[in-house]
Amino acid sequence: MSVSGIEAVGGFTPLATPQLDATSGVKGAAGSSAVDGSKEFGNLVLDGIDRLQSVQSTSDQLAVKAATGDLDAIHHYTIAASEAAVTTQLTVAVRNKALEAFNEIMRMPV
Amino acid sequence: MGAFDMLRIAGSSLGFHQTWLDTLANNIANVNTIKPTSGSAFQAQGVIAQAQQGGGVAVAGITQGDPTGRLEYQPDHPLADANGYVRAPEIDMATQMTELVMAQRGFQASVQVTKDAQETYQSALSIGRG
Repeated sequence: MSVSGIEAVGGFTPLATPQLDATSGVKGAAGSSAVDGSKEFGNLVLDGIDRLQSVQSTSDQLAVKAATGDLDAIHHYTIAASEAAVTTQLTVAVRNKALEAFNEIMRMPV
Repeated sequence: MGAFDMLRIAGSSLGFHQTWLDTLANNIANVNTIKPTSGSAFQAQGVIAQAQQGGGVAVAGITQGDPTGRLEYQPDHPLADANGYVRAPEIDMATQMTELVMAQRGFQASVQVTKDAQETYQSALSIGRG
């Protein structure tokens, strides 16, 4: 009588941590200027601000449409507005953190 | 995939349910629309949902109801034919109202998803704050 061994649990793949590659970094307004290889923090913030500007201008255009009655659906504006709000908060949070880090370095005794 | 996919998907659902609500409003508005027997009756509209590739839902098409409708004997009606018949739309009001509740609940659920998405993003923003 032959007993087959216990098979390994099939189909289970361990969770892979997300990898940030150079091409899929924070995209600019036109979606073209990916973060370059050097990945400077300043560029990261600048690209974030570019994206913020495009999101906010979309929201502004929809706000004008809402005022003039050309809005197709209410949720188009409300979703764009909340997207703009969250993006603004994120950009401001990143900026605050950057300033905090800068001040921390400035306070460093030499 | 973007950072705001949850919002985008909920938004597509809002759009779909709004189209559904629009068709139901049109059906209910035309429940008493009488047509002459020479033409076709008002056709009740329905929406076909389709899942999207990158997530979300879209309106794949609008179905048109039975153009035959229901023949009604209304000899006093200005559109009545020689035999006194007119064509009324074949719309079941109970079905329309039930679907209206379904579409409304679906819309409300999607609104709740957008609210939860905002809350989720807010809690993600609070990481490392303070």
